[in-house]
Amino acid sequence: MERETRRKLQSAVALVLSTLAALFGLFWLVFILGSVLVHGMRALSPGFFLHDPTPAGIPGGGMRNAFVGQLLITFFATLIGVPVGILGGTFLAEYARGKRLAHYVSVLADIMVTVPTIVVGTFIYAVMVKPMGHFSGWAGAVALAVIMIPVVLRTTENMLTLVPWTLREAAFALGAPYYKVIIQVVYRGAITGIFTGVLLSIARVAGETAPLLFTSFNNTFFSGNMNGPMASLTVTIFQYAMGPYDDWHAQAWAAALVITFAILVVTVVGRMVIKLRYGKK
Amino acid sequence: MDILFYMLTALAALAIVAVTAGIFYILIRESYPAIKKFGVIRFILAKDWDPYREVFGAATNLFGTAITTCLSLVISVPVALGIAIFVTEIAPDFLKGPIGAAIELLAAIPSIIYGFWGFFTLAPIMANHIEPFLMDTLGKVPVMGPLFQGTPMGIDLLTASLILSIMIIPFTASISRDAFNLTPEIVKESAYAVGATRWEVVKNVVIPYSRLGIFGGVALSLGRALGETMAVAFVLGNTHQITSSLFDTAATITVTLANEFTEAASKTYLASLFYLALLLFIISFAILALAKVFLIRYQKKNPGGH
Amino acid sequence: MNIDMQIKGLNFYYGDKHHVLQNINLEIYKNTVTALIGPSGCGKTTLLRCFNRMHDLYPGNRYEGEIIFQGRNILSRETDLIDLRSRIGMVFQKPTPFPMTIFDNVAYGLRLRGIRKKSILSEKVEQALKHSAIWDEVKDKLHQSAYALSGGQQQRLVIARALAVEPEALLFDEPTSALDPISTAKIEELIDGLKENVTIIIVTHNLQQAARISEWTGFLMLGELVEFDRTEKIFTVPKEKLTEDYVTGRFG
Repeated sequence: MERETRRKLQSAVALVLSTLAALFGLFWLVFILGSVLVHGMRALSPGFFLHDPTPAGIPGGGMRNAFVGQLLITFFATLIGVPVGILGGTFLAEYARGKRLAHYVSVLADIMVTVPTIVVGTFIYAVMVKPMGHFSGWAGAVALAVIMIPVVLRTTENMLTLVPWTLREAAFALGAPYYKVIIQVVYRGAITGIFTGVLLSIARVAGETAPLLFTSFNNTFFSGNMNGPMASLTVTIFQYAMGPYDDWHAQAWAAALVITFAILVVTVVGRMVIKLRYGKK
Repeated sequence: MDILFYMLTALAALAIVAVTAGIFYILIRESYPAIKKFGVIRFILAKDWDPYREVFGAATNLFGTAITTCLSLVISVPVALGIAIFVTEIAPDFLKGPIGAAIELLAAIPSIIYGFWGFFTLAPIMANHIEPFLMDTLGKVPVMGPLFQGTPMGIDLLTASLILSIMIIPFTASISRDAFNLTPEIVKESAYAVGATRWEVVKNVVIPYSRLGIFGGVALSLGRALGETMAVAFVLGNTHQITSSLFDTAATITVTLANEFTEAASKTYLASLFYLALLLFIISFAILALAKVFLIRYQKKNPGGH
Repeated sequence: MNIDMQIKGLNFYYGDKHHVLQNINLEIYKNTVTALIGPSGCGKTTLLRCFNRMHDLYPGNRYEGEIIFQGRNILSRETDLIDLRSRIGMVFQKPTPFPMTIFDNVAYGLRLRGIRKKSILSEKVEQALKHSAIWDEVKDKLHQSAYALSGGQQQRLVIARALAVEPEALLFDEPTSALDPISTAKIEELIDGLKENVTIIIVTHNLQQAARISEWTGFLMLGELVEFDRTEKIFTVPKEKLTEDYVTGRFG
């Protein structure tokens, strides 16, 4: 009996520890989001979005340049990365379905999803920045696109695989060639999933900093020129945080707030759509 | 027309292969001067990192990467397993989804936010409260004492590892949770039916049953931690040294790259940085491939899995 | 004939609305085999799972009434479920070996009870494997994974695991539904031999099986116990029209 008491006690202790682990995780989530919210709200003002930075050390100014830069870089990254990812995923799920090659490529993509993003930055530096002789928004966009491609590719492959095979057979039976079946039937069946996957992948790269450090670099002036160095929110946060001015720190908090909540909202909505559409997984 | 679309998609799929091979090739090409000058084994083992004399070695960077990665796993794996146990075995049904989702939100927060928050919020707390406390307690324990001695500045290996661990908790937790969920209910019930406690069922049935999945999840988190840049760049100090105290500053491969890449003035310096990037690429590629092997074997064993 | 278990006015609810078992009364006699039969969804498995309080693993369940086992109402709040489940073993529809060796599977319950001595463990494991008629097939590979065995062997291994802790009763939930006829015959033979030592309650959808191996049979329908009697009576001269219709295969 004494032994049983000990076993039950042990079980209770283990379960309490597990509960504490969950609280530990939630604690950090609340702590981080809370800090960002509290500090960020203080520096948030219309001017923060509408003004460009003042010269270093002079209070005031905003991050208009970084917002625009971030949007441009992310937009072009999407423009390059999404079509490649979707088409690649289509190849794996349709033409190469079940083939060994498809399996290997999709495993490779899975690995590339997690490969250190800073390595991608050094790669793009070597193939774009160095030959061109200067940092550029294009280099930043391509770096983010390289990170996006495997994510979009895997999502597309998964979503297309979920479309029942019989649907394709039905279309084949009407005499449609494969590419028409894919474009008109399969894509239509998987559109919600692919679209959401694309959204989630945009949210992911929008928060990236490391691959931009030596590609798009930074720019304290407003610039719409993708061919020159370009500011982004994330790199600006890094620069401002490391700088000596309180005003910079405050603005960095505000930028952190904007980017964090933008990404969280997209992520939460995206996950909910996937959950509603595809059940638990 | 169909053949055209076929070619187009095939080309896109091959892009991923091309990029992987391209990264590998370019990194070798760019680091070639450093490879030629410092060799392989010598570069890995050398502790020098001296831009003025132009002598470079990876040892301090590898040290920082290894310590922060290992320590973050030591912190995050038990917590992540605890979370998975909580979500699958303890939490009432209405809490399961929300808590799992909240934990996964941790993975959606950009890494720069972790670093930034760590620098301004966590580091002072570590310096003023947690590290002095650790110094007074664990620092006095024989053998492991030296780990917790020194000047508690908050900008050090310990803080960096803690931030990393928070970042990777959701990855291990969600893969472990999915693996736990695949343990057949009926097998768990039969353990209960011989009089096992809840913890005994988890320990003896659920965890062994999900072993490969958990390994895969841990290896994936390991790959994440290895390559993480911004979360540690703020709080590690970027000092090239090998130390015995967790309260010391250090440098990881990623932190060195982030801080020095745009400042590298000489050819050898830049080549050495590319060399570091190449090492990091090879290490993380190998570990992530291993993670995939575990997960694929696991899926083969549990075809219902995802 | 000794009464081993007495079920009095048992009601079982799932959630607020589902009244799954309604006023069940019956006696289980010591060292006999009692079969529970009925169409699917009739509540026979639910009833079986009341005997070791398996329902307590999931939220939203409520028992009413009494199940007296060894002088105590096992449905009471004070019941120690871990102790109860070590006295009343259970075997499931599919073989459920744990992810460990054959030996460790059988020794699992013993180790939980604190038996660590190798000699005692070996002896008890051997005994249990012999009782469940699988010893000869596994004695040379005790330290191999239990997953290497065939389905029928796994099921007998699982029975050995349940027997090793020397329970007073064993619950079988359609133990042969996933097995081939030869394995099924072996299990049935085994069950027949086991009743010397334990009381057996078996849920089965296979009427011939119930007729072959049980002394007592309960017929359930829509959560009610329609008839409970000696097996030969149930299958030859049932009192109720419903029972007669069911055992003669007029519905099912």
